[in-house]
Amino acid sequence: MSESPPTLHLSSGPHIFSGRSTAQIMWMVNLSLLPALLWAWAVFGWPVLAITASSILGCVAAEYLACTITKTASTIPDGSAICSGLLLAYTLPPGISIWMPFVGGMLAMFFCKGVFGGLGYNIFNVALVGRSMMMTTFPVEMTTRWLTPTLGMGKVDAISGATALAQLKAEGHDGLVKMLSIVADNIQLWFDFFLGMRSGSIGEVSVLMIILGAAFLLWKRIIKLYIPISIFVGVALMSPFSAAPMIYMLGGGIWLGAFFMATDYVTSPTTPKGQIVFGLGIGLLTGIIRNWGGYPEGICYAILLMNILTPALNDWFRPKRLTADGAPS
Amino acid sequence: MSLFRWHKSVLPTFSRGGIHPDEHKGLTENLPIETFIPTTVSIPVSQSLGPAAEPLVVKAAMVKRGDVIAAVPGGGVPVHAPISGIVKSVQSGPHASLVYDTIITILAKPSDNDPEFAEQSNWRSLPVAQMLERIRDAGVVGLGGAAFPTYRKLTLPKDASIDTLIINGSECEPYLTCDYRLMLEESDKVVLGSWAIAKIIGVKNCVIGIESNKQPAAERMRQTIAELGLEAMDPPVRMTVVVTETKYPQGSEKQLVQSLTGRLVPKGGLPLHVGVVVQNVATAYACLEAIRNEKPVLERVLTVSGAGIKTPKNLRVPIGTSVEDIVAHCGGYTMDVVKILIGGPMMGRTIADLGVSVTKGTSGLLFLTAAETNLNGYQPCISCGECLDACPMGLEPNRVSQYMEVGRPLETEQFGVKECFECGCCSYSCPSNRPLVQFMQAAKVAYRRHERKSK
Repeated sequence: MSESPPTLHLSSGPHIFSGRSTAQIMWMVNLSLLPALLWAWAVFGWPVLAITASSILGCVAAEYLACTITKTASTIPDGSAICSGLLLAYTLPPGISIWMPFVGGMLAMFFCKGVFGGLGYNIFNVALVGRSMMMTTFPVEMTTRWLTPTLGMGKVDAISGATALAQLKAEGHDGLVKMLSIVADNIQLWFDFFLGMRSGSIGEVSVLMIILGAAFLLWKRIIKLYIPISIFVGVALMSPFSAAPMIYMLGGGIWLGAFFMATDYVTSPTTPKGQIVFGLGIGLLTGIIRNWGGYPEGICYAILLMNILTPALNDWFRPKRLTADGAPS
Repeated sequence: MSLFRWHKSVLPTFSRGGIHPDEHKGLTENLPIETFIPTTVSIPVSQSLGPAAEPLVVKAAMVKRGDVIAAVPGGGVPVHAPISGIVKSVQSGPHASLVYDTIITILAKPSDNDPEFAEQSNWRSLPVAQMLERIRDAGVVGLGGAAFPTYRKLTLPKDASIDTLIINGSECEPYLTCDYRLMLEESDKVVLGSWAIAKIIGVKNCVIGIESNKQPAAERMRQTIAELGLEAMDPPVRMTVVVTETKYPQGSEKQLVQSLTGRLVPKGGLPLHVGVVVQNVATAYACLEAIRNEKPVLERVLTVSGAGIKTPKNLRVPIGTSVEDIVAHCGGYTMDVVKILIGGPMMGRTIADLGVSVTKGTSGLLFLTAAETNLNGYQPCISCGECLDACPMGLEPNRVSQYMEVGRPLETEQFGVKECFECGCCSYSCPSNRPLVQFMQAAKVAYRRHERKSK
C-alpha cells in the first residue's frame, strides 16, 4: 500500500452544494449571447467579429492589469470580463473603427470594475459605462457608422446613416416612412425589426436572437422576468408619445438592455419588488430620454441611472420573513 | 430539474425558500437496522443542551447496563451506562461538538443479572406526572439532533394552550435513513410513544409529518395507527399521517408547523406559542421505552453512509460507541474520503478525530468524498439573490456576509442573524461558494460577546 491516509477537512456546514458556480453562470451568459452575434455577423459581415474581439481584448487586458496591480489571483477564467467585452461590443455601431472598442473596453473595465474591487463590487454596468465613455470620446463614430443589413433578402437596403429611432426623433413619422420607403406595409416593417433586418448596434438589431438567448437563461434559471417585463411595461407606457409605437418598442436597444444589461446581478436589486421598481424606473426613464432628451435612444443611461438606486432599492424592498407579526404570547 | 418549477406543489409544505438537494438515501434506505455492540464505549457526560452533567463513577467501578453514571447536580437529564462492564477511565477526551468533554470509558463485561427492562402492563394508566418523571429519569432528549431535554419540552408553561402534537418523521437531511427505518420496523412503538406524549400534553390531535420520498413509511404508520385503535384508548387520540413535499428543511420545527397547521411561529417564539408541540419519531420511540419499560436511552439508531465508507449501514449502537469502532464494523473508509461528518450533510459537523463517540443526538455518520462535497475557496458576492430565494426564514445571508467581510458584525441583526437556525440552504445555493452559515455563526458569536460585555 503506497496510498497515503486521507486528509480530513474541517468546515462549517453545509457540506453539499447545488453545483452551480459564478464561472458557470458567466459562461452560460456568454453562450446565450452568441445567437445575436451570429446574426450580426450574417447581416453586417466580418467587421462585427473584429469589433467584438477588440472589445473583449480590451476588457480582458484591463482585468489582467487590475488583478496584477492588486496582486490578486486572475479572475479572467470566470468569464465575466469576456461577458462585459461581448456586451460592450453589442452596443456599438457595426462600422466603428476597430481600435476604439479596445480603448472603450479597457477604460470601462478598469475604471468601472477594477478600481471598485473587481467582480461583485462594481456599482455600474460595465458594458454601459464603456458605451457612455465612448459616446463622449468618439461622438461622431458612435452615432454615424451604421451599416445596412444584407442577407440576400433583397430590397432592404434603405436604412443608412441613421437608425430608425434617430430618424423618428428627428423627422417624425413621415421622416421614418420616407427613410423606410421601400417597406410596403407595417406588418412587413415590424417583422423586419423583429428578425433584425434593420440598422442598429451590433447586438441589438435582432429581437428574435435576443429572445433565443434570453429563453436559454430563463430555462437555466439564471435570469428572472421581473426586470425585463417591468422595463417593457415602462417603455410601453411611454410609447404613446411616439409617432410609431411599434417601432418604438422593437427598435433601439431595449430588448438587449432588458434581458442582458439590466439583469446583471451585481448592479440590480435582489428582491422581486425591488426588481419591479428597478425595471419600471428603467422603462420610464428610457421613454423620458427618448421623448424629451437629446438622444434618440435612452436605455443605456436609464439603466445606469437606476444602477445608482440599486443599494437603496435593496434597503427599501426586503424579503418577507417567515414569522408571524407580534411578540410571542 | 423540472422545467416547470413554478408549479405549486400539491403536497403541503412551508411557504418560503427551501432547496431540493440530491437525496442519496438509496445507499441505505433498504438496509434493515443492524445492532452493533462494541467492546468499549466512551460516553461523554454532555449529552443534552443545558447544564453539564458530572460523573458519578470512578475508575475501576463496576457498572450495570442502565446505571446512572453521570448527573446534573440539582436535577436534569442523567446519563446511563449503555452496557455492563468496568469503568476503565474517567478523563477528558474528544467530543463531537464541544471539542473536549469528560469521557467515561466502559469496558464491556457481561453480567448475569443485567436488567431486562420488561414491558409493564399498566403503563397506559400511569398519571402524567409519573410519565414525565420516567422520561426525565430515562435521560430522553430530542433525538432528531437538537438534544433538548424532552421532559422540559413536555412540561408546558401554565398559560400554554396546546391543541396539536406534531410527530416529526420528515428526515429531510440527505443521506439519513435512520428515522425512515425506525418508522418501517418499529412503527408500533413510534405510534404508542406518540400516544403517550399526546396524553402527557393533553391533546386529542396528533399529526405525523413524513416527506413524500418516504411513502412506504407513511403507509406503514397509517396501517399501524388503524390496527392499534388509538381512538378507543383512554384518552382517545386522533392520529393522522400527512405526507409533505420533499423539500429541505421540511423537518425544521417552524417549517413543519407551517406545513402541517398553516400557523406561523412568532419571531423569537416556539411552536408552543401557536399551540403546537413537535417531537421527533425517534424521541417518541424513546419516550415509550422510558414509560412502558422504564428503559433509559442506552442506544440509538444512526445512518452510516457516504461514498467514502465501504459498507453503508443503518446501525443501532450503544451511546458512546466510537467512530473508530463503527468504521471498522462498516469495512473501513476509502482513501478518497475528505470529510467525516457527525449528523447530516446540511447541518452536520466535521470531525478529525475518530476517537469521537456517538451521543444521543447523533443521527448520522457520513464519509464524504471530494465528488460529494466542495473544498474550493469562495469568491465575492455577486448579488445573484439565490440565498434570498433559498432561505426558509426570509433572511438576508448575502448582506450579513458583506457586513461581516468589512468587520461590522453588530449591524447584522437587521438582516435576520438572530432568526437564523443555520439550515444551510443559503450556502448550498451560493454560486460563489460563500460560507454564509459560517458568517451567520460568527455574527451570532459577536452579538453574544457584545451582550455579555454590556451586562
